[in-house]
Amino acid sequence: MTGIKEKPDTEKQDLTDHIAQSQIWKSIFRHGFTDTQRNRVLQMTAGFLLHTRPVRVWTHGIRLRYTWGAGGLTFLMYVVACITGIVLMFYYRPVPEYAYADMKYLKFDIPFGMFLRNMHRWSAHAMVILVLVHMLRVFLTGSYKKPREFNWVIGVCLLTLTLLLSFTGYLLPWDQLAMWAVTVGTNMARATPFVGHEGPFAEFLPFISPSFDARSFLLGGTLVGPGTLLRFYVLHCVVLPVVTTFLVFVHFYRIRKDGGISGPMKALEEES
Amino acid sequence: MPDTPCTANEASANKPPCSPCCEKPAHLWGRRDVLVGLGWFTVLTGLLASGAGFVRFMFPKVLFEPSNTFKAGYPWEYSVGAVDSRWIRDQRCWIIREPTGIYALSATCTHLGCTPVWLSTEDKFKCPCHGSGFHRDGVNYEGPAPRALERFKIYLADDGQIVVDKGKKFIFEKGGWNNPEGFLVV
Amino acid sequence: MTASGTVSGTALGKAALPDKVHAWPGLLRIEGLVTLVAMIVLCVWSITIDAPLEEPANPSITPNPAKAPWYFLGLQELLVYFDPWIAGVLIPGFCILGLMAIPYLDVNPQGNGYYTLKRRAFALSTFLFGFFGLWIIPIIIGVFFRGPGWNLFWPWEEWDIHKVVSQNNVNLSYLLGIKGYWAEAIFGLVFLGAWFVLPPLMLWQKKAATNPTIKKMGIARYVITAFLFQSMMLVPLKIFARLVLHVKYFLVLPWFNV
Ligand code: HEM
Ligand code: FES
Repeated sequence: MTGIKEKPDTEKQDLTDHIAQSQIWKSIFRHGFTDTQRNRVLQMTAGFLLHTRPVRVWTHGIRLRYTWGAGGLTFLMYVVACITGIVLMFYYRPVPEYAYADMKYLKFDIPFGMFLRNMHRWSAHAMVILVLVHMLRVFLTGSYKKPREFNWVIGVCLLTLTLLLSFTGYLLPWDQLAMWAVTVGTNMARATPFVGHEGPFAEFLPFISPSFDARSFLLGGTLVGPGTLLRFYVLHCVVLPVVTTFLVFVHFYRIRKDGGISGPMKALEEES
Repeated sequence: MPDTPCTANEASANKPPCSPCCEKPAHLWGRRDVLVGLGWFTVLTGLLASGAGFVRFMFPKVLFEPSNTFKAGYPWEYSVGAVDSRWIRDQRCWIIREPTGIYALSATCTHLGCTPVWLSTEDKFKCPCHGSGFHRDGVNYEGPAPRALERFKIYLADDGQIVVDKGKKFIFEKGGWNNPEGFLVV
Repeated sequence: MTASGTVSGTALGKAALPDKVHAWPGLLRIEGLVTLVAMIVLCVWSITIDAPLEEPANPSITPNPAKAPWYFLGLQELLVYFDPWIAGVLIPGFCILGLMAIPYLDVNPQGNGYYTLKRRAFALSTFLFGFFGLWIIPIIIGVFFRGPGWNLFWPWEEWDIHKVVSQNNVNLSYLLGIKGYWAEAIFGLVFLGAWFVLPPLMLWQKKAATNPTIKKMGIARYVITAFLFQSMMLVPLKIFARLVLHVKYFLVLPWFNV
């Protein structure tokens, strides 16, 4: 990497230059790519995708030693899970008769079916690991402190959503693992105070019954059955991703509005 | 400006006429406050009502779930003293024949709903999920299960077969096991 | 990135205010590289290891052991020690709310934006204890050390379905010789009340006047922090009481038990 050239090289007029000078290219990218101060700014601001990012960032904030890249990797895993998930939806039917069969179909009869399923599953697991690592790093650097308190709160919501996404997805293959994890998980809702029919104080609410409580709200019935599969499918593929995506963007927006990645210098400044 | 919310005092001659935006309202519940309050009230009740409607929407009036009653064959098919697991796969229940009669025990762990297994060598039901143990009569004695396994209503049909009604459960802790419907005397 | 790529902040000298770099290429190049490496790892992982798929769902047969996905095994571990609504609803709820409250309870301005152990010893040790001791380690126990019947096994030990572990747990009040329904209930309430009130109160009386951090917190923050802290520490206390003294419940009430 060389320093910034203030004047672009003009001698060579090879093929790349030819393309970069063409009308089509210039209509899309309205700036050059030689490494000048001006182009570094234009690259960030002139296009739609990158204009959502800051033009300049703290030097300490881009060090992997500081952030471990964990938040960014969490987001990457989320994007991978979203894309592979949408692809899997082309084959998956959320009905007990078909769900398990579709898993086998993906595995044996669909080119790259198993690979995509693996990628979806492992990116989800990686996302859970990375979101925990990210939270650990944010705590260790004290980055939740003023003025980033609220972004930490949003982060906790994202952590919860990450776990819920994983949990709802776990039922979809409709195998033994799925069935029993969800049976145990949703039976805890049955034991919730007031709103679960076996929980404390439910006896004071006469309308709470096995078919009308927090558990049957999740299950769509009194058993883990077809209604449950459909409900979890809708939550997993629509409701939770929409909420998560929204909060991820709020999270990113707040990072910028809170002054970029936290750093030592500003802190020292405040303390002195 | 007919309805400026100024008191007569404030709107003295040498002040410019009060505008609604920058003067204190005359009293706590001026017309504007009432209307704004009404607006918020409408919005909030609307949201609340649709929330309640949504909750109701999630509870169907009819559930298509497997029938609760099943015929379990004739009493003599069950040997005395044995815990019979033949209905576990289809009906999730054990039929236990004692010298005096027969009862049907729910195979749903009272902890979090896993299916325990009958370990005849140790003479107990053991739940694989978190390790609850139950005696053969269904009473819990180890692990996290808070209460005994439930018993189902059991009776003889006209053709002499045993009928188990899983819709009616008898809970030991509530004295349900004293109910004669939960124990078929043969 | 050479120095010429940075735009220097101020002229305050060596320990000056932080510098900024252009996001392009400074940040975006790192992001691109990290993405590339991560995607390669993910692809290799997905090619070499298949996602599990077991027998079709069967409501009548529970696999033994029946394990939740690994990230919930910490909670499943707690189910051994607590009633379901506490392990499954109350404790996770407290975790979420407690985590959310952290920035508003921690009044220490130091250690914002850099790694330090000394300047925030209490915050860090509490968090790390909760994170590793009550979250990661129970997950590891659940993944590697739990076998059929949810009994403890060494990872190299063969799983014996018929392993018998006697568990005869009794309530704390019974251990102390307190008998009778209401006597036990009152004992439980007093015990838990003392757990939540006494240590924070004693610390407050000893330190409130002198300790600058406690002074800065004020009474409201102090009470909330103490409550959350004591709630968190109740979890290892109960686990300890169960494993060592075979205590089933601390508190037995007609409506619920702790
Ligand atoms: C879906 C989950 C999440 C995603 C995609 C995400 C993404 C990110 C990214 C990309 C950053 C930039 C810095 C970095 O990479 O470390 C960041 C910063 C931050 N995150 Fe997250 N995050 C998530 C969850 C969380 C959680 C669980 C917490 C805490 C409970 C949290 C709190 C924060 C805070 C306070 C910052 C600012 C850090 C600083 O300025 O140093 N986030 N997040
Ligand atoms: S479900 Fe049986 S012990 Fe938990």
